[in-house]
Amino acid sequence: MPDDTQQPDPDVELVARAREGDTRAFDALILRYGDKLYGLVYNMTSNKEDTHDLLQDIFARAYQSLPKFRGQSAFYTWIYQIAVNMTLNFLKKRKRRSGLSLNELDSAVQNDPALVDQTHHADPERQSNLHELQKRLNEAMMHLSESHRAVVTMFDIQGMPHAEIAKILKVSEGTVRSRLHYAHQQLQTHLQEFWEKSS
Amino acid sequence: MKPDAQQIGDLLALKRHERPPEGYMEDFLREFHMRRREEAMAVERGPQGWWKRFTAWIGEAGAAKWAYGAGLGYAAIAAMFLMAERPTQVEHSTESVRWQVVPAAPDASVEQLEELDLRPESQGATGDQEF
Repeated sequence: MPDDTQQPDPDVELVARAREGDTRAFDALILRYGDKLYGLVYNMTSNKEDTHDLLQDIFARAYQSLPKFRGQSAFYTWIYQIAVNMTLNFLKKRKRRSGLSLNELDSAVQNDPALVDQTHHADPERQSNLHELQKRLNEAMMHLSESHRAVVTMFDIQGMPHAEIAKILKVSEGTVRSRLHYAHQQLQTHLQEFWEKSS
Repeated sequence: MKPDAQQIGDLLALKRHERPPEGYMEDFLREFHMRRREEAMAVERGPQGWWKRFTAWIGEAGAAKWAYGAGLGYAAIAAMFLMAERPTQVEHSTESVRWQVVPAAPDASVEQLEELDLRPESQGATGDQEF
């Protein structure tokens, strides 16, 4: 995980080349961060098609805005800021546009686990349990507000430090911690039933 | 019994291994470049593209650009003059209308009546009528 407070930005060279119009350099940046950003957007939207379209828009915005990138933060932090802001805006619009209820979203999540756990392909039973758990987790995640879901995704799923999340969301570390605490409480409540059955 | 915060964290951490399907990013890249090309073509076809080509042409024209510029300016002014809306002209004739009263021609039936001889001597007596 790049940390721009301690280390130099590992993407400096690629970013410089991309700014000069080298599309292969930008391709390399897409391949470097595509998976992580896909995870971030999917865990926030719970919809494959929306994730794909949003990710296209995020990288397009980053490509167009590259001349404005001054290197005051790491490229990683910068593109995460773009991704989080665009995803939060998209979720607000989606809510207004379709009036999608949580129940409708839940069923979409249950029937559409877009991500594949690549570590347990060999063990079908474990894979099945993980699949079920994934569905439950996605369901519980969708009960969180967008801002709480963003914090949980970045901290718990993507393993980012509090300071990095605070920088991306432009809030204090205290706010990040309190959002996490609240979100964990909510998830505990939503996962209680499944937890009792499985233990 | 609820899972504790640590257990929640551990559960969520399992999702770190999740990845998009194999080959997804390669397809994604192809689509990304296709969309950029389409956007660039749309810009080329639009007013921005025309303006870009025009400024490039002006830049390459050298000293002749002043002559072209003056010609274009003159053409624009002439076009504006020609296209300007003019007030519609209404023709007002000052010639007075000539008229005269023409007496009406006498009616033919009245003329016939006037030609009739209606004197008593020409009418005969009552009972003298011959059939």
